[in-house]
Amino acid sequence: MKRTESGIGELRALDHLSAKHTAVHRLHPLTKLLCALVFVICVASFGRYDAARLAPYLFYPFVFMALAELPYKLLLSRVLIALPFCLFAGFTNVFFDRETAFVLGGIGVSFGVISLCTILLKMYLSVMAALLLVATTPFVELTAQLRRLRVPIAFVLMFEMTYRYIGVLLEETHRMTTAYSLRRGTGKALEMRHMGSFVGFLLLRGFDRAERVHTAMRLRGYSLFAPPVSRRVLGAADVIVLAAVVIPAVALRFITIL
Amino acid sequence: MHMADALLSPAVGIAMNAVSVGAIAVSVAAVKKDVFSDKKIPLMGVAGALIFAGQMINFTIPATGSSGHIGGGILLAGLLGGVPAFLSLAAVLIIQCLFFADGGLLALGCNIFNMGVIPCLIIYPLIFKPLLKKGSDVWRLGAASIISVVAGLLAGAFCVVLETYFSGITALPFGAFAALMLPIHLAIGIVEGIVTAAVLVFVRQSRPEIIDSALTNGRIGGGVSLKRVLIPLLVLTVFVGGGLSLFASTNPDGLEWAIGNVAGETELTADSDIHESAEAARESTAILPDYAFASEPDNAAGTSLSGIVGAAITFALAGAAGFTISVVKRAKKSKKADT
Repeated sequence: MKRTESGIGELRALDHLSAKHTAVHRLHPLTKLLCALVFVICVASFGRYDAARLAPYLFYPFVFMALAELPYKLLLSRVLIALPFCLFAGFTNVFFDRETAFVLGGIGVSFGVISLCTILLKMYLSVMAALLLVATTPFVELTAQLRRLRVPIAFVLMFEMTYRYIGVLLEETHRMTTAYSLRRGTGKALEMRHMGSFVGFLLLRGFDRAERVHTAMRLRGYSLFAPPVSRRVLGAADVIVLAAVVIPAVALRFITIL
Repeated sequence: MHMADALLSPAVGIAMNAVSVGAIAVSVAAVKKDVFSDKKIPLMGVAGALIFAGQMINFTIPATGSSGHIGGGILLAGLLGGVPAFLSLAAVLIIQCLFFADGGLLALGCNIFNMGVIPCLIIYPLIFKPLLKKGSDVWRLGAASIISVVAGLLAGAFCVVLETYFSGITALPFGAFAALMLPIHLAIGIVEGIVTAAVLVFVRQSRPEIIDSALTNGRIGGGVSLKRVLIPLLVLTVFVGGGLSLFASTNPDGLEWAIGNVAGETELTADSDIHESAEAARESTAILPDYAFASEPDNAAGTSLSGIVGAAITFALAGAAGFTISVVKRAKKSKKADT
């Protein structure tokens, strides 16, 4: 079961990355959140054939990745997850939109090809925006920011619990699938007729485990509704970064330089 | 079935985000009083995480050679009840978006709606629960699960088509896209429905109280009625969607396209001048235009070529900027290590 393993690995990798100490990591979580949102909305607002105008936006992921000392390889591999659906939609454009836009070296380039490029660029940029946020912000700070934004406490708590339990349960799933394939003697996927009891057991074991974990936490003084909310104000660096991202991102939307 | 940022326009994305945030807010408020006890929140967290982990398990589908994985909505709703299931599914989708690059920030609203609101807040109370009104024995539970999963997936897939269509990023004709998406999701739905039924039946047999309490949970707080959740949602959708689409329709691309279509279809009988311009508009928006017409040399070629060159240069510059920063940083670090 490679998928469960890679899931565990991905979560750990992001945890490690977000624990680094660089200028980007030290920024206020709100700054990074706002940058990501403005960036994504600006990128999405471009039209079908605006591939060229999207190019300047590449500065954002490239520069921030370098400043935050993130490995290019890991982050590039993440982008591939979103690829299939976008490729499908993009290639249909190539078939349906065959009017020639211009001729490049004797080969006609159709509007469909340009729109395929636009979709792929948009996909890369928007995936990077979200990844840059989580790869440079520790999970605890992210949820602290949600609390400061007055997101209902119950939802934040559930969000935290889900995130923490995903690691625990992925390992549980991994153990169960390993046991299953060892017992069966083949490394193949599960049979569909075993899914009911397999997932059923996983659920029941998970619920029991959650109860034990929760009891243990309570015994150590954990209380759900009185979590500490840290105060934090935007610094000068935050304002500068916000301005440096938001102003060009919005300006490039309205001014055509290419 | 995750919707991607790249296929969405900001208007559709923001509208759907507003709708989903609204749905979460209303659901939190609705279940707060009774369900959010000390014990229920961790349970919801675990259930969400379980669905996530469960989706990582591939199984082989008999006689096809392909593989599938479990879906989330109806299974969670069967275990927790509709509204709590929606909340925990929303948490899972946010985590998938942020940490696993499934979907995106802008598409998050669409995904929460397609995969959370539809199965948990619409299909579960309208189809799943009524089917189990007379008792939740094995056969009823199985049938209700399969029917609900299929209905939920079809509705979700249809919403993906609608969201993509209204965003106007792809050139896919609405009918063709729907004709492609719906049969695929019907097949997926049947397989997922059978597995969901098997899991729920298994849980029902070993721990009947879980399923039964979920069914009665629907009446939490003396009536989180469907109306209380759905009507504000509907109002919000209409307002946000309407407001944003007014804003969006000033976008020249969409407008030109619409005008071209209208002109091409309704004014062909007018005098020759209009006829000609309408014909030109139709041809330029047609799916397969005559190549002779389309490849006529015009200014688009020049501007697009320079655009491509410019884009390539920008790309190189951005890459160089990132590379330089990395090199400088590494040099600084090794200097520090030396001293």
